[in-house]
Amino acid sequence: MVVDELELLSFFEWLLPGGDGSEMKIGALGVFLLMVPALSAAVAFVCYLFSVARHGPAEGFYVVARTVAAGVTDVSNISPRRVWAMARLAINEAIRRRVLIVVAIFMLVLLFAGWFLDSSSEHPARLYISFVLTMTTYLALALGLLLSTFSLPTDIKNKTIHTILTKPVRQVEIVLGRILGFVAVGTVMLVVMGLGSYLFVRRGLSHTHTVESFERVEAATDGQAENPLVWRGTCTSADRHSHTFEVNQDGQGQTDIQRGHWHRVVQKSDRDGQPVFSIGPPQGWLQARVPIYGGLQFRDRNGQAAKKGINVGKEWDYRGYIEGGSQAAAIWTFRGITEQAFSKQLSLELNLRVFRSFKGEIERGVLGSIYLSNPDAGVAMRSAPISFEAKEFSIDEIVFGRSLDVIERDGIPREGDIFKDLVSKNGELNVIVQCSERAQYFGMAQGDVYVRSADAPFFVNFLKGYIGIWLQMVMVTAFGVMFSTFLNAAVAMLTTFSCVILGFRSEFVSDIRTGDLEGGGPIEATIRLLTQMNLSGEFSDQLVTKVVQFVDQGLLLLMSFTANILPNYNAFDTTDYVAYGFDIYGGLLSRNLTIGLVYTLSAALVGYFFLKTREVAA
Amino acid sequence: MAVETMTNPEPTTPEAEPSEVVIETRNLRKVYRDFWGREKVRALNALDLEVRRGEIFGLLGPNGSGKSTTIKLLLGLLFPTSGQALVFDRDASDVEKNERIGYLPEESYLYRFLNAEETLDFYGRLFDMDASTRRERVNSLIQMVGLEWAKRRQLREYSKGMTRRIGLAQALINDPELILLDEPTTGLDPIGTREMKDLIIRLREEGKTVLMCSHLLADVQDVCDRIAILHQGDLKEMGRVDSLLTVKDVTQVQARGLSAEAEDEIREVIGKHGGELMSMEHPTSTLEELFLRIVRDSEERPGRRTVEHE
Repeated sequence: MVVDELELLSFFEWLLPGGDGSEMKIGALGVFLLMVPALSAAVAFVCYLFSVARHGPAEGFYVVARTVAAGVTDVSNISPRRVWAMARLAINEAIRRRVLIVVAIFMLVLLFAGWFLDSSSEHPARLYISFVLTMTTYLALALGLLLSTFSLPTDIKNKTIHTILTKPVRQVEIVLGRILGFVAVGTVMLVVMGLGSYLFVRRGLSHTHTVESFERVEAATDGQAENPLVWRGTCTSADRHSHTFEVNQDGQGQTDIQRGHWHRVVQKSDRDGQPVFSIGPPQGWLQARVPIYGGLQFRDRNGQAAKKGINVGKEWDYRGYIEGGSQAAAIWTFRGITEQAFSKQLSLELNLRVFRSFKGEIERGVLGSIYLSNPDAGVAMRSAPISFEAKEFSIDEIVFGRSLDVIERDGIPREGDIFKDLVSKNGELNVIVQCSERAQYFGMAQGDVYVRSADAPFFVNFLKGYIGIWLQMVMVTAFGVMFSTFLNAAVAMLTTFSCVILGFRSEFVSDIRTGDLEGGGPIEATIRLLTQMNLSGEFSDQLVTKVVQFVDQGLLLLMSFTANILPNYNAFDTTDYVAYGFDIYGGLLSRNLTIGLVYTLSAALVGYFFLKTREVAA
Repeated sequence: MAVETMTNPEPTTPEAEPSEVVIETRNLRKVYRDFWGREKVRALNALDLEVRRGEIFGLLGPNGSGKSTTIKLLLGLLFPTSGQALVFDRDASDVEKNERIGYLPEESYLYRFLNAEETLDFYGRLFDMDASTRRERVNSLIQMVGLEWAKRRQLREYSKGMTRRIGLAQALINDPELILLDEPTTGLDPIGTREMKDLIIRLREEGKTVLMCSHLLADVQDVCDRIAILHQGDLKEMGRVDSLLTVKDVTQVQARGLSAEAEDEIREVIGKHGGELMSMEHPTSTLEELFLRIVRDSEERPGRRTVEHE
């Protein structure tokens, strides 16, 4: 799972100003409130310059002021009926243009995709889910792009817009109606594609095994067990894997976990009284874990509080490391640990990195220990540590039972209870991880250890993943309509497409600008390409070089500025959450919805001003 | 990127006192420029016009004389290079004026994938009409333009004349006070032309104002009260049609049932009074009248008929 490198923020933490004293944050709302006047002023100034060129300084000012005033009136007088009429027209037009072909393509790909998806992979569910979600994303974006950019230019070219604009319809209603109509069409398509994908994933993963061999297990040594194990067996191979299974005396059992799933096994008897086993459908690989994340603090080797872990020289300083065999520890503080939610047990999942300063026994993971403690200052109560072997690149699951051994100040273990002894009154709980092997290190970040509460339904998470795709489509549509208010169809499509690419690759652009990535700006890169010069080769110190680099810097500044204004589509891509089986948390979803809405409305507004100030009959 | 027009400096509320002047242009100029801002065409030069309530005003001129440009400036589809275009005392770029006007474009620019009912319903929605008003308007207009038999057919299947009719119907959807017609009779057969002209006159009788432009002189002559003649963007002539066309020193006499002697006698009388006889002949009917008569007869008595030779 590629975790968010950013902090895991709730919606209001993200939106509103806050911070922990040392660094104040103004919050997204603050950034928005600062950016909007600044951008508007800049745009108004540029418009004023254009206007002055046409009308002279005083008259030019009036023209701009009047346009803005008219904009306020127009926007406040939007009529839902007119917007809906325009939207219906857009829907009609989209159907005319046979957009249903997109769904046909989608279904066609799904029909044959099963042949090419490697069912022998370690995580077939991940493969299937990320395949359908990625394909849907591309198709939805292409759909939004094609629908939105061709519509208005065609209307202007065919002059059908003349008949519209001579009715009391505001340009803002035309723009909004278009966006709304195309989004409606796209939504229907996404629903169809979503259902198709869901069935595809379910059916593609579905398989069953039959029993190959089984044997009766000798009664376990302590015959007192209520429901002793009776049968053990193996299944036939299907989809290039097989399971072993165990069935208890009550006739219920299950297989082992292979490739992220297991099957339920039920024992019955046939007419001759011989045991027959029926093996159910695969379970457990379409899940949506709901992690509860905590805050992370470090202790250095002497047990003193440290701001960060040790840097072991990895370039990505997202994770901090703790040293083994010392007092160094990582402490997570979880909130909201309630008795209702965790009545039986507390599951923790660990996704630690290991840094070995010597090879040791390479086949075996590095040992560590984990325990719970009460965060209340006065109470020095902690659980007996559980030791574990850190399996790198897969998730270690550690379960604390509700009743467990606790250790008080005296160091003598006694029977205790998680909620009575370890969880503080306000529902907080500390989890401490230490590395047990001297001179080996554990690397960790905030998102690497979490409490796993009850799973969310997979279907709902799948839906949330689709909402992410939907949002991307809405924004592409909005930008497409915006550009098509002043560009012709082909140019508008290219521009929107470039914006999507820039939005996906904004970090790349800013890395090139700061010089973190070699190769230089557009002109320099072209020269390198044409002269077959490698990326790090130095140019001779000539005037031409200086000029090229100067112009490149300007271009890159413009590109990264544009990229910073444009939506960062990566942030909306929640495919990994769904594919890796994590619930898309509410804070992320509501944040994305807010950003998407703001971008869409801004694009509509900009499109409105372009259309209003344009001579459509020219 | 800014609106190039000015609103009226002293806007008067139209409700307070119905202004007699419905359309006014003041020194209206339009220059088309290319992408680089270089002057391409001077479409209109310092046009001053006034159209009053209740009249049919014709803009007359050859192709490219600035008729359509004037109409588009009045509709706010183009922005004037300088000068003002006022409709109902409001600036042409003001969207509110559209509530009270109807526009029939040169070719009916309609969505070809809608049928007649859907088209009119769509434009009705743009006037924020509620469903029942829309249904009523749509039905009566389809009846008026005589398209009931084709109201469920997509416009792509319509003939040019039918498209024109549905175009007219959409222009009247809001029962406008002012109707702008761009070449209303182009593409229509003689019957359609006659119906269109009758309709324009009927609109005037209902108290509406009509501004039309055309290069078909006969049409303009038949219906317009006043005309303006444009050529290469300049206003050449403006006035009432009857006074513009009256030839003051010629008298026309038409009489029935005169013998050849009587005609000779009249010639003599004219000579005696020092007049010059320009022509004395049996009048011919216009081809339009002949055509319309034949079609009407044919509708009354269908079937092939022997052609009369004189």
